[in-house]
Amino acid sequence: MSAFLSSAIMHNIFGGLAQGVIYSLVALSLVIIWQSTHVLNFAQGAMAMFATYVGMTEIGRGVGYWWCVLISVLVGMALGGATERVLIRPLYGKPEINPIVVMVGFLGVLEALAAAIWTSTTRNITEPFSQIYFQSNGHLVFLSSFVIFQIVLAISIMLFVAALFRFTKLGLQLRASALAPEVSRLLGVRVSRMLTIGWILSAGVGSIAAVIIASGSFGLFPTNMDGIFVASFIAAAVGGLESPIGAVAGGLIIGLVEQFILAYWSPNVAPLSGIIILVIVLMIRPQGLFTKHASRRV
Amino acid sequence: MNWWTSLRRQETTHSRLLGVLFLTLLTLAITFILPPVADSELAGGAAIAIVILGLSWLTGWSGQISLGNSGFMAVGAYAAGIWAHHHATTPLFFTFVLAIVIGGISGLIIAIPSTRLHGPYLAGMTLAFSAAVTPLAQNFTSVTGGEGGIFMNSLVTPKWFTHFFSGQNAAINANAQWTADLAVVTAGVAFFFMANLFHSRSGRAMRLVRDNDVAAELMGVNLSRTRTMAFVVSAAFAGLGGALYSLLEASVRPETFPITLSITLLTLMVLGGIGTLSGAVIGGIIYSFSANLVSHVNALTGVNPTSNLGANMQGIIFGVLLILTMLFAPRGLVSLATPMKRLFRARPQKPASEQVH
Repeated sequence: MSAFLSSAIMHNIFGGLAQGVIYSLVALSLVIIWQSTHVLNFAQGAMAMFATYVGMTEIGRGVGYWWCVLISVLVGMALGGATERVLIRPLYGKPEINPIVVMVGFLGVLEALAAAIWTSTTRNITEPFSQIYFQSNGHLVFLSSFVIFQIVLAISIMLFVAALFRFTKLGLQLRASALAPEVSRLLGVRVSRMLTIGWILSAGVGSIAAVIIASGSFGLFPTNMDGIFVASFIAAAVGGLESPIGAVAGGLIIGLVEQFILAYWSPNVAPLSGIIILVIVLMIRPQGLFTKHASRRV
Repeated sequence: MNWWTSLRRQETTHSRLLGVLFLTLLTLAITFILPPVADSELAGGAAIAIVILGLSWLTGWSGQISLGNSGFMAVGAYAAGIWAHHHATTPLFFTFVLAIVIGGISGLIIAIPSTRLHGPYLAGMTLAFSAAVTPLAQNFTSVTGGEGGIFMNSLVTPKWFTHFFSGQNAAINANAQWTADLAVVTAGVAFFFMANLFHSRSGRAMRLVRDNDVAAELMGVNLSRTRTMAFVVSAAFAGLGGALYSLLEASVRPETFPITLSITLLTLMVLGGIGTLSGAVIGGIIYSFSANLVSHVNALTGVNPTSNLGANMQGIIFGVLLILTMLFAPRGLVSLATPMKRLFRARPQKPASEQVH
C-alpha cells in the first residue's frame, strides 16, 4: 500500500488534484457570476489577488494568519459588491463585449496598482501547514499537511456554496433571479440586490482560492492569478459555464491533465494543455460537458 | 461642388488610395521635421496602428472580440525573426509576407474552434492563447532563443537617403528616419488594404453577420466562414504589426508580448473608436506619445518616475481610460468630437424661396 501511495502516478494524481481544486474554486466563482449577470469576469483573479494583498499586509506584524485570511475574504467580497454596483450595473442591456472590455480594463488597473503599492517581487506568506511530504515506512507519500489543508478547505467551500444555493431562502432567491428575473421581481424578490449578492459571494470564493495559492510555494505577486484565471475559465467553459458541478469537475480535469502532460509528455507543451482540452471539448460538445439544454450559440 | 465633397460622396478605390496616400505622405513629411527619437516613437505607433486596425476590423465589423492579438503579434514577429536569422539576405518585403501568412495561419488555427463561440467564450479562448505564447517562446529555446530571443539586423539605409543628413550623428539619424519612413509606408499599405476591405463584399457581409446573423444566413452568407475570415485577417494584420515592431526593436523576445499588451491594444482601439480607420490612426498616435504622456502625468502629479507608482503609471492610466471610455463614450474619442464637428460644418443652403433678393 505504501509503495503504491509513493508511486509516481500517485504523485501526479495528488499534485493534479491539489491544483485542480483551486481551478474548481475559481471556475465555480466564475459560474456564480455568469449565472446571475451573464458577465464573464476577467478581473476575477486580479480582484482576489488584490484582496489577498490587502488582507496579508499585517501578517508579519503580530496579526495571526487566520485573521489575515478573514480580512482578505471580506475585502474580496466588498470589492466584488462594489464592482457590480459601479462598473457592471451601468452596462446591463449593452452589447456583451462592453462588460468584457470594462473588466479587462479593471484587470489592468488592479495589477498595475498592486505592483505600484506592493512591488512585483514575490511575497512568500508563511503557510500555516507544512509543505513537507509525509513518510510511511521510509517511502515518501506525496501528500503534505498543506496539500490536505488545500483540498479540504476547497471542498468545504464548494459544499458550503452548494448548501447555500440548495437549502436556504437566499439561495432560492438567487437561483430564481438568475433563472427568471421578471417573474422573481413580480413575486417580491429584490433582483438587483440578488445580483450584487451573487458578485459578493463569487468574489469571496475567488479570494479563498487566491489566499490558498498565495500561502503555497507559488507565492503572492501581482500577476500570480493570471494563469490560474485562464485555466479556471477553461474549466468553467469545459463544464458549460452554466453548471456549478461542471465547473468543479472541469477544474479537476484541467488540473490532472496539466499535471500528466507535464510529467509524461513534455513540460514545454504544458502551457498549451488548457487550450488543447478546450478545443477537444468544444469540437465534441460545443455547449460544454455538463449543460443539459443545448442553447443556441451564435 | 468641389472635388473633395464629390470624392467623399462616392467613395471609390481611387478616392481611398488618394486619402491614404495623402496621409502617408504627410506623415513622411513630418518624420523629416521630428527629431530621431520622436521618429522611432512614431514608427512604433505605426506598427501598433496596424495591429489595432486588425483588431478593430474584428471587433467593429464582425462583432467578435479577441484578447489574443498580442499572441498573433508574437507569432508574426517570431516567424520574421527566425526566417531573417537563417536567411539574412531575404528582402524585407518577403519577410513581411511570411509574417502575414504565418500570422494568418495561426489565426485560422485559433478561429476554427472559436468561431462557434461568442463574446465571453471567444475572449477567454483567445486570452488562453496569448497567455500560452510567452511560456512557449521561453520553453522552445532551440527555435526561439528562449529568454534572450533573436536579434534582427537593423535596416540598411540606402546611400541616396543619407545625403539628406549631415553633422555628427548623420548615419545614425538617417537610419532612424529611414526605419520610421519604412514603418509609415508599411502602415499606409495596410490601411489602404483595410479601407478597401471595409467596403468590399466581405466587409458588407461581415456587418450583416454582426447585426443580424439570421438575415445574413438567409441571404446566403456562410456565417462560420465569414467569422473565420475576419479572424484570419485580424491575425494577419497582427502578424505584420508584430514583425514590424520587432524589426524596430531589432530583436524578438518573449517579454515584448505579455498579456498586458493585449489590454493595451484593446484600450487603444476603444479610445480611438472601434471599427474605424481614423480610430486605428488615433490609437497609433496615442501609443507613440504614451511614454511622453506618462512622464507628463508623473511630472504633473509629482510622482517619481523611478518609483513603483511611476513605473506602473502607464498600466493604471490605460486601464482607467479603458474603463471610463467604455462606460461614458463607448464609440471612442471620435464620438466626443462629433458635436464639435457639427459646429464647424457648413450650414445647409436655404431653399431658393426663402432667399431674399
